[in-house]
Amino acid sequence: MSSDFYTTQILPYAAIIIKICRAYTDTQEDFEDYYQEVCLQIWRSKDNFKEQSAWSTWIYRLSLNVCLTFLKKKKNNKQNAPSDLLPDEVLVDSRAFSDESLNQLYDAIRKLSEIDRGVILLYLEEKSYQEIADIMGTNTNNIGVRITRIKERLKKILNQSH
Amino acid sequence: MEKSIETIWKEGFLKNDALVAPKLNDLYNQKSIDIVEKFKRMYKLNRIGVATFAIIIIPLSYGTKMISMGVLMSLLFTVVFFIAQKYSKQLNQIDKNTSSYEYLSSFNSWVKDMTALNSKLSTFMYPYIFIAMILGFWFIQVDEEILGNMFINGLVSEFPTTYLINGFPILLLIPFFLAIGVIAFFGSKIGKWDINLVYGRILNRLENTLSDMEELRK
Repeated sequence: MSSDFYTTQILPYAAIIIKICRAYTDTQEDFEDYYQEVCLQIWRSKDNFKEQSAWSTWIYRLSLNVCLTFLKKKKNNKQNAPSDLLPDEVLVDSRAFSDESLNQLYDAIRKLSEIDRGVILLYLEEKSYQEIADIMGTNTNNIGVRITRIKERLKKILNQSH
Repeated sequence: MEKSIETIWKEGFLKNDALVAPKLNDLYNQKSIDIVEKFKRMYKLNRIGVATFAIIIIPLSYGTKMISMGVLMSLLFTVVFFIAQKYSKQLNQIDKNTSSYEYLSSFNSWVKDMTALNSKLSTFMYPYIFIAMILGFWFIQVDEEILGNMFINGLVSEFPTTYLINGFPILLLIPFFLAIGVIAFFGSKIGKWDINLVYGRILNRLENTLSDMEELRK
């Protein structure tokens, strides 16, 4: 990847990638791997960008896809390797941010299903229902209901952790 | 009052430390080590396989009464094992105290040397295996008679006018040498196919990572 491409086309949108990768990873090491894989994937797929959507929307979509694929691979590996950890114990609190409330919110987001994580991240990033549906590859009909349900679930998890 | 998740989100990311992008090059270091280590493991397994085959082929050939084939195959696989051992030593000598690009480039040169040699060897190796197998069948004893001799006798009685060279009918020698020629001609290709079958995926990863890194260095 040329450093010029990274500086001009990826770095200005790094916040998007960071926010998404944090929601799909439990450790700093995993986060760095996911982040870099997303960057590489953006660079590899840059010629496929058809300008039908904004560059940032495309980055959201690609980041989510890479994270979901990585997570799937990780799950498969865990299925093959015996582990004593219970699912909740796997979700280690990574304490990635100095803001404690944000850390808690991320911990709660990580307890959602993979798709719900993507939906709520896009909602928090103030994407419209149409954009969320486009990025997640669903229709707009149930996005509103789904977001309400996810928010309730998040509140419940956050209240439990207090 | 408790903050809404929207407020937590917005306020949390206003802090400077929240969005620090990690450096990009670490992944390449990791990938380089992963690729070479995985290859080393596969190469070791391959050598163990070759050595095992060189040993078990002897009792196997004894059991199937094709001892000459067993001895010749065992000899060949022993030689292949020692060549692979020599190459393995060279692989372990690749300097790890260089950049990941230099490390992978050195590994790539080693792979090219190894595949070039394998390609050359295959030109001789596959005809050798063919000859070993023919000899194996040839010297099988059936009712105290050698199968090869029975075959020649049958051929000569079927074609009594056939030309003989050192007691071997030309009708047998022509297809035999023709087959050797064809196998030798395709030996190098078979060798490449063989390498690709075993190491293809990892060598593709090596190629992709190297080209990524080359692009990054521009």
